[in-house]
Amino acid sequence: PGDTRDAARVRSAPAPVMDVARLCVCDLLVAQCDVNCCCDPDCSAEDFSLFTTCSVPVVTGDSQLCNQKAAVYSLDVEANPPERIFKLIDQVNPSIFCIHATNYKQALYLKSPEIPTPENFDQLLEKFGGATFRAEPDSWDLDTDAQNPPEANETSRYEYGVPVQTEDAFLRLPSPVVSSWCSDANPAGFLVNQATKCIRSVSVEKCDSIQALSMLFYINSSILAVPKSSQMVNITVQSIVVQSVNGMRTLLSSSDVLRLPMVLDELCINAVLGVNYHITHTDMGEIIEAAAAFVLGAISKEALSIEQSFEISFTQENTQAVPLSGNPGYVVGLPVRAGFQPQGYPFPAAFLSNKHSQLTILQSTSTQDCLAAQGARAPVLFGYNMISGCKLRITAAMKCQPLAQTLLDVLKGQSFPEYVASFGNSQAQDVLDWVPITQLHISEQMISYTLQSSCQIPVSLGIEVKWTKYGSLVNPQARIVNVTATITTTTLKQLPSGRERIIPITSSVVFTDISSPAEPSYKAWPTINIKLPFDFFYPFV
Amino acid sequence: SSQLSSLPLQILLYVNGIYYIFYFLATLAMIIYKSQVFSYPDDLLAPDLAVLFLMGILEVPRLYLGFKGNLTEAEAPLGLSLGLTVGSVVLCVYLLLWQTYVLWADVFLNAVLLSAYGLESGLKVTAIAAFVS
Repeated sequence: PGDTRDAARVRSAPAPVMDVARLCVCDLLVAQCDVNCCCDPDCSAEDFSLFTTCSVPVVTGDSQLCNQKAAVYSLDVEANPPERIFKLIDQVNPSIFCIHATNYKQALYLKSPEIPTPENFDQLLEKFGGATFRAEPDSWDLDTDAQNPPEANETSRYEYGVPVQTEDAFLRLPSPVVSSWCSDANPAGFLVNQATKCIRSVSVEKCDSIQALSMLFYINSSILAVPKSSQMVNITVQSIVVQSVNGMRTLLSSSDVLRLPMVLDELCINAVLGVNYHITHTDMGEIIEAAAAFVLGAISKEALSIEQSFEISFTQENTQAVPLSGNPGYVVGLPVRAGFQPQGYPFPAAFLSNKHSQLTILQSTSTQDCLAAQGARAPVLFGYNMISGCKLRITAAMKCQPLAQTLLDVLKGQSFPEYVASFGNSQAQDVLDWVPITQLHISEQMISYTLQSSCQIPVSLGIEVKWTKYGSLVNPQARIVNVTATITTTTLKQLPSGRERIIPITSSVVFTDISSPAEPSYKAWPTINIKLPFDFFYPFV
Repeated sequence: SSQLSSLPLQILLYVNGIYYIFYFLATLAMIIYKSQVFSYPDDLLAPDLAVLFLMGILEVPRLYLGFKGNLTEAEAPLGLSLGLTVGSVVLCVYLLLWQTYVLWADVFLNAVLLSAYGLESGLKVTAIAAFVS
């Protein structure tokens, strides 16, 4: 009895409304009057008198039909109160290609969807169960099968972004997905330098069985030199750094021995805390070398999770990687490249541009004491205005001259560069691509009688970088035009003994855009220059 | 003796031949237009095209037999042509009423063709009657 009742109760979709007079697209609220909806049956005459226009003036079927009924709604604003006019008219399509009749029911109406029943459920699930539906699934499958073989021949080298393949799957770079927990399914892309940090849950008792804590997990499968080939590149261990429980790192002298995690004195030692892959490739997209540098550490008993960090970098063989700050214009956020010029200008001219001679400014520290903050410097990043400072405590016992020199070192750093690259990719050989840093001295107090006698100490360094937009209008490149370093000095007044003074010392970097407004210009049309020869009209002239 | 061949029939057959070429091309073009503009699934397009081509195939012997029968004053080819005309009429009625999409131009062309067939059939019957007696 239950089955027959269910069978009788097979639901069908509500029948589509075909009658133009009863169809109302703007009737959205049930049993309530929609504003400006003239076809809404829930609206009374008073509601109609408040409308301003009819949002749906005409309701018709397909306009391609030769002859059809149309419901026309309009508001008669002349009448007082305004009332709605409803007319049912015959709309005629004058074209000779209008549809006179059709024997295909679904031609002009949307198809009613099939109601799932136990019989057709599987077929419907197969057709519509996926993330995408295809109109003709069979023919498309044939096409993809035919395309596969020719594709395999083309990928005989790695391209940017293609996952680096290993024997079993892909070179994994564990990274956080959605949350901070490590996911091992993230493949490393060729030429995509990445650095990720993620958290892994650990337990000291099982630490030798957790695969992700062991060095073997990261180096056991060899990398394929080219995709889908049989040429393998083994991952060698480049270096091992052991981090002790208090954070001190020691570089091991021999990196041949594989150190596996084991439990020792309630600690799990030799657990992988970080891996740094270095992949060397040729310019043809083939991987020739792979090395991994490990940071091993110890996990204490109470720790439930550790943070692992992973990095991968790609270098081309026989090249020295020089990080560019833009190509060619500077990219906001990349360090401003600077350098020195060895003696012998103008011949030969070559700049030393290494990390130690970068343009840097003082980095504020938590202690805020200028004399204690030796060495902490932050690189100047293009486009980022920075200001930093410290406090100088002056006592009576301090001598002016050494203090001035110390402060100059604090402000300018150990090796303040002389030249700044005007483009992000300026080469050291191109002298003209480098802008000299102009050094200015401003004295805070222009009191003439004290200028010579007392000594001046620098209190602030302001670096102003003037840059301009260079190149085409649609893709302007940033180019540094002028760099000025201004040191402001002030007189150091002699303090009575026992007293002390605190002076703030500041250093700042400001980037100013001095681009002149650009005007688009177009190539001039070629002109035809016709000139007759001098004696064309000989002998008449 | 006076000729028994029907001149009106001859004229009508000649005009029918020319009109039919135009009709065939126009209907084919309209089916192509319909398949692009409207939703025309393959299992409905195939019968319509089949009917049109069948009608085209039938038309050639039908007209040839008509010409031959009328000019040689023989009733057998004319009778055969009449039989083929019946088939053509059926196909024409299909294209007029039971096509997937019947455009107004379709109605016009098919109506003209049907009236031509009707008139032809009448003239053929009278010609056969004249030849037999």
